[in-house]
Amino acid sequence: MALGLLKQGLRRSYKPQPVLPPRPELKSSYDVVIIGAGGHGLATAYYLAKEHGITDIAVLDKGYLAGGNTARNTAIVRSNYLTPEGVRFYDESMKLWEGLSNEFDFNIQFSHRGHLTLAHADSTLRTMRWRAEVNKHMGVDSELIGPEDIRRLCPHLNLSEEARWPVLGALYHPPGSTARHDAVAWGYAHGASKRGVEIHQHTEVTGFRTEGDRVTEVETTRGNIRCGRVLQAVAGASSQVGAMAGLRLPIHTVPLQACVSIPMMPFLDPIIVSGTLHTYIWQTGRGELVMGGSSDPVPGYMTRSTLDFKEGLMAHVMELFPFLGEVRLNRQWGGMTDMTPDFSPVMGETPLSNYYIDAGWGTWGFKATPVCGYRMAETVAKGTAPDILKPFRYERFDTFDQVGERGAASVGH
Amino acid sequence: MKLMHCPLNGWRNFGEFVYGGEVTLPPAHDADPKEWADWVFMEDNTAGVVREWWFHSPSSYWFIAERDNVRDVVLRTYPPEEIFQERVDFSSEGASQ
Amino acid sequence: MNERLPAPWGSLLDREQPLTFTFEGERVGGYVGDTVSSALLGRGTWLQGRSFKYHRPRGPFTLVGDDASCLVQLPEEPNCPAEHIAAEEGLTVKGQHYSGSLKRDRARFMEKFSRFFFVGFYYRAFYRPRGIWDYWEKFIRRAAGLGSVNTNTAHRYRDKQYAFCDVAVVGSGAAGLSAALAAADSGADTVLIEREPVLGGGLNYHRFDAEGSSGPALRAEMAERAERHEHIRVYRETQCTGRFGENLLALVHGNRMTKLRAGRVVVATGVISQPAVFHYNDLPGIAAGSGVQRLMRQYGVKPGRRAVCVTANGDGYGVALDLADAGVEVAAVVDLRERSGSDARADAVRERGIAVHPDSGIVHAIERDQHVAGLRITRRRQAERSGAPGTDIECDLVTVDVGATPAISLIAHAGGDVSYSNETHGLTVRELPPGMHVAGSVAGPCSLRAAQAEGEAAGRAAAAGGPAALPVPAERDGPCNDPWPIFAHPKGKEFIDFDEDLTIADLRNAVREGFDSIELVKRFSTVGMGPSQGRTAAVNAVRITADQLGETVEGARASTNRPPAIPERFGHLAGRGFDPVRYTPMHQRHVEAGATMMVAGAWMRPAYYGRDRGTAVREEVRAVRENVGLIDVTTLGGLEIRGSDAVEFMNRMYTFAYRKQPVNRSRYLLMTDDTGSIVDDGVSARWADDHFYVTATTGGVDSVYRRMLWWNAQWRLDVDIANVTGAWAGINIAGPNARAVIEKLDTDIDFSAEAFPYIEARSGHLADIPVRVLRVGFVGELGYEIHCPIGCAEALWDRLMEAGREHGIQPFGVEAQRVLRLEKGHIIIGQDTDNLTHPEEAAMGWAVQRKKPFFVGFPALKARESQPLTRRLVGFRLPADTDPLPEECHLVIDGDRITGRVTSIEYSPTLNYPIGLAFVDPGHTEPGTPFSIKGSGGTMIEAEICSAPFFDPDNERQNL
Repeated sequence: MALGLLKQGLRRSYKPQPVLPPRPELKSSYDVVIIGAGGHGLATAYYLAKEHGITDIAVLDKGYLAGGNTARNTAIVRSNYLTPEGVRFYDESMKLWEGLSNEFDFNIQFSHRGHLTLAHADSTLRTMRWRAEVNKHMGVDSELIGPEDIRRLCPHLNLSEEARWPVLGALYHPPGSTARHDAVAWGYAHGASKRGVEIHQHTEVTGFRTEGDRVTEVETTRGNIRCGRVLQAVAGASSQVGAMAGLRLPIHTVPLQACVSIPMMPFLDPIIVSGTLHTYIWQTGRGELVMGGSSDPVPGYMTRSTLDFKEGLMAHVMELFPFLGEVRLNRQWGGMTDMTPDFSPVMGETPLSNYYIDAGWGTWGFKATPVCGYRMAETVAKGTAPDILKPFRYERFDTFDQVGERGAASVGH
Repeated sequence: MKLMHCPLNGWRNFGEFVYGGEVTLPPAHDADPKEWADWVFMEDNTAGVVREWWFHSPSSYWFIAERDNVRDVVLRTYPPEEIFQERVDFSSEGASQ
Repeated sequence: MNERLPAPWGSLLDREQPLTFTFEGERVGGYVGDTVSSALLGRGTWLQGRSFKYHRPRGPFTLVGDDASCLVQLPEEPNCPAEHIAAEEGLTVKGQHYSGSLKRDRARFMEKFSRFFFVGFYYRAFYRPRGIWDYWEKFIRRAAGLGSVNTNTAHRYRDKQYAFCDVAVVGSGAAGLSAALAAADSGADTVLIEREPVLGGGLNYHRFDAEGSSGPALRAEMAERAERHEHIRVYRETQCTGRFGENLLALVHGNRMTKLRAGRVVVATGVISQPAVFHYNDLPGIAAGSGVQRLMRQYGVKPGRRAVCVTANGDGYGVALDLADAGVEVAAVVDLRERSGSDARADAVRERGIAVHPDSGIVHAIERDQHVAGLRITRRRQAERSGAPGTDIECDLVTVDVGATPAISLIAHAGGDVSYSNETHGLTVRELPPGMHVAGSVAGPCSLRAAQAEGEAAGRAAAAGGPAALPVPAERDGPCNDPWPIFAHPKGKEFIDFDEDLTIADLRNAVREGFDSIELVKRFSTVGMGPSQGRTAAVNAVRITADQLGETVEGARASTNRPPAIPERFGHLAGRGFDPVRYTPMHQRHVEAGATMMVAGAWMRPAYYGRDRGTAVREEVRAVRENVGLIDVTTLGGLEIRGSDAVEFMNRMYTFAYRKQPVNRSRYLLMTDDTGSIVDDGVSARWADDHFYVTATTGGVDSVYRRMLWWNAQWRLDVDIANVTGAWAGINIAGPNARAVIEKLDTDIDFSAEAFPYIEARSGHLADIPVRVLRVGFVGELGYEIHCPIGCAEALWDRLMEAGREHGIQPFGVEAQRVLRLEKGHIIIGQDTDNLTHPEEAAMGWAVQRKKPFFVGFPALKARESQPLTRRLVGFRLPADTDPLPEECHLVIDGDRITGRVTSIEYSPTLNYPIGLAFVDPGHTEPGTPFSIKGSGGTMIEAEICSAPFFDPDNERQNL
């Protein structure tokens, strides 16, 4: 039962069970410095402490805790990728997701919604069948379904054959889920700090000191820190931080926007994605519709909102749900996504021997948070990346060896 | 939607333009493939003023823009001839193909 | 009706036009000019909403919809602010978010459990044992939401308009009117935007002086001038919902969104009244003083019988005077300040014998029948003490004037800096974004005189394009904000955020849980995340968070303000929708012939002719193989490459070699991108040494064209590249009788086999239509691909059909073409290749000329070809009785390993067995090698590699 509520509710006075620790003093040296206190950085710190017994860790962030893309993403979790290496990786993430609330003792509201990617052209159907077949072969629940099955799962979707982009079928991925994005970061932060990890908000990295192929010190706005190993996990600033360490990355940073409606009584259970219409939409437990689309057409480091984004998106949302014209949009926002040429991350070792990278997360970083943390912790602890990360290695581009995810969809949520 | 100045057509709505990537000079045609790989994949991805390719779609015209990608302001646009002044020739070997 | 005040109260009402609508099934009377909310208040119905969490009774607070306490349900529209919905005859309005009725909400019991709904409670429960959240969530979702969506709502007509001006002034109060007039007087093309039906803002209802005369007088003069001014366009009843890059304003009015591009913007949006925070401060009947004044002056509503005016500035006294004038008994003015200061309105209140309680604090409000029934006040410094005795004042109306927050949305959207100031005791604009001016109370507390002066200055500066300056605070003396209008209560329920039912303790506890900044407090507690986006919560949330953190509130920021400034309908944003469809000139002919059309990118193409796919495709294939068929290939891209460097350019863009391509000969084209992956293919026809005509795929032509121009912007070759896709249509006539048909038409082209053999190209005339004819063999029969100007294509189609009638010519669609080309082993880019396929993988190495110094993708190909091949495209066949057939993208499996996939598969009606293309392990590509396909339901199907073409391997038929 809801014991947590009873215990707190029946107390004479509210007893805080702090989720986040008080702000610590910055020491002059740490075994591991993690740059970026977002989901990935915090998860790595957590698993370093929990799985590898490394606790002398500082997690640094130039802003507030998990205030970057962890705060701005639209919280969709799935594993129905196209390539075997992608599926294997995200499936491991999915398995970790399932246990997080209990592991944290904090409900991240991991919600099994089911995920439908719509096909409006036979070429899309073909790619989806490919995804479904790879998924099934690897034990991930995915199926290509027709309009009748779609109607059963989402009765209000516009399935008219007269539509401008008629729905021909969908890739149905029952494990597709959502999670309360902030809570994930808080859970990791709580678990990490409980084990001795220090989280330093408003501590910006300004440079590195190196000796040979090693980073010896991390320079910050609050002073220099000597470090054993360093991990960068700074979506939206990967190229800048990487450049300080002398790395040039296969990344361009592009704004991605999303928006949310006023809460309504739930009418939409699954997550609906249409690559052709550059649209995804799902309804939260509070009743809001969360909606987004493709990245902005222009790269840059802007989190401003644009009118074209929501005009285009709403036109497409109304293609899918023509009855939503009178529903009201309440808020739009933007984040910055680090896009790679092959729609896959850059993870693992770098030319610097004690510097590790977790970057290039484009629009799909949230769903990988647990596995990223788990596997990057392993990488940092052991000094080499495990096989599951090998396809995403930094040097793959030297030989034009791209991961094949780009074929999957233009909306990667 | 913002406005941008096309060197050929004057001020036009941003929606008429297509972004075309950072302006970087390609390696020599016979350069090492690794050098080409760097040119194809790696980016400066500068936060600040960048020099970019832009395409005015209705008139099919490529030009170059200097843009502050943090403040989201286009500072200057000009024809590609300012940078690409010379005809690029490859060695004549195999020219009979 | 008996609650309505006589004219001149109710300036917006047309009392000649009464109307009736229903609310919660009850008939409500009102007048044209009423809003749903004002009509309800006119009959004393303050209960108009239910709160999100505890289902508390709620009424309007700001009375202009800045709070979200009165969201109502229309038959086709959820979550409408009752204050913004015009009352209309016959309208059906309901409350929302209740169980039972709005008056008797069965879910009200939720509040009894409020101690269990502490801040962030949902993070603390419902997850043990693992998986239980799925169960609990169903209940939580059931309780969620506010209004309900009517899934039968029609897609209403709404459109978009572009507009331009030199100066846009948002808000038409004293400051806005002054700004608009000053700008327009300077000759600037000015747009004045007002969300209400009349200009004047607070001049319509605010009492600036004891007599209440200055507002109306000024309004009459300025509004009239503005309406008549030749340089001012007035947008009334228009919400400016956002400011976007380079002063693009989104204006929502009626069924239209106007996108206004303004040279300069003057923000004169005024302020949003803020609640005082005390126990039960959310009860219906507790409302902002300015809102109550508006209600009386504009809607003629007598808001109560007995009022208490809570204030911390002179405005509350003005409210008291207005109430008294309207015949409402003013029980007391409760002033939070020690002294009321020198304000003529305060003196007038005292003169009228109204009781004034200075230095007061509020202990709690008293509830009766879901409405405020009284207020317990005490000395201010005692107010927070438990069980403070205090004085109970009976009333049915409490007005609140303890401060306001500037309506800074547009400034924030533009990147202006707003933070808390201890000087104004509120959020204050610190720095203006470029191109934006401010005037009036949005820039800080401000007298009427100062608002006018600032408006004029801003209007003039905006018109002149001069620098924008923030008004200097010393020159302004306006109603001040109380620094701490917050009175904690032992029993809580002092609401900071009405949307989310968040109290003082909730915010303090969020900080105690470790959420040590306003952004984190917001995220954990959800303060400001509801429908009102913190418009009436942010200031108090900032104060409490800073206080709990023990930090100074000076300089503190509220969480980021984002568009829209006020919720906007999806339909307004979507507009009519513009997703054009392209039809070929022969579209009508296809429809007449009974074609089943399919979407092909932006185009519509015939998939097959008839309704039954199997029969149609079989018949169409047979017609082409045995007789003659006709297909519309207009959607193919067409590019003209001309100039002395044309051949050099071709050599650089495509993988093949073109220097030796003879004039009037065609040649296959394959294009790779910078990574060496196949991106397009087509056919080139060389018309002259310096002139090539090339085709590109339907979906690829635009990017191919763009890429060509991009490369040549750097190479600077002497070549002209033109995309003529829209200028040329294409018809492919194919089959053993193709020549017989074509020769029946008048022509200056010699179509004889000797004069016009396979792979040649000719230009000339056919049936008096200028044509380019290519003998190509995609379907592997004697065939002519005829390109003609798009305006002649329908006529040419008709002529060919006519000429072919005696042979029984058969139009064929995309599906038959797929079968035909597969029988010939031809690949389709994007189906038999993916984004990373290089030519060797696709068995297209023959189309790559490696002796050239360079072509786009060559360096990458060299690198990739030096790596071991990981897959290769091969032809395969299946036993004729295979059922069901594997489908495209079913996997090729070796043991447990995925080694490839089927890219194309069809049952060949010509060969009478299934054939296909598949990627397989490159180590086993010999014809005759078996391999396994994992078909539907996981069944393994044995296939056999065979060489392509499957049909007519020596290509004799196309050479006829």
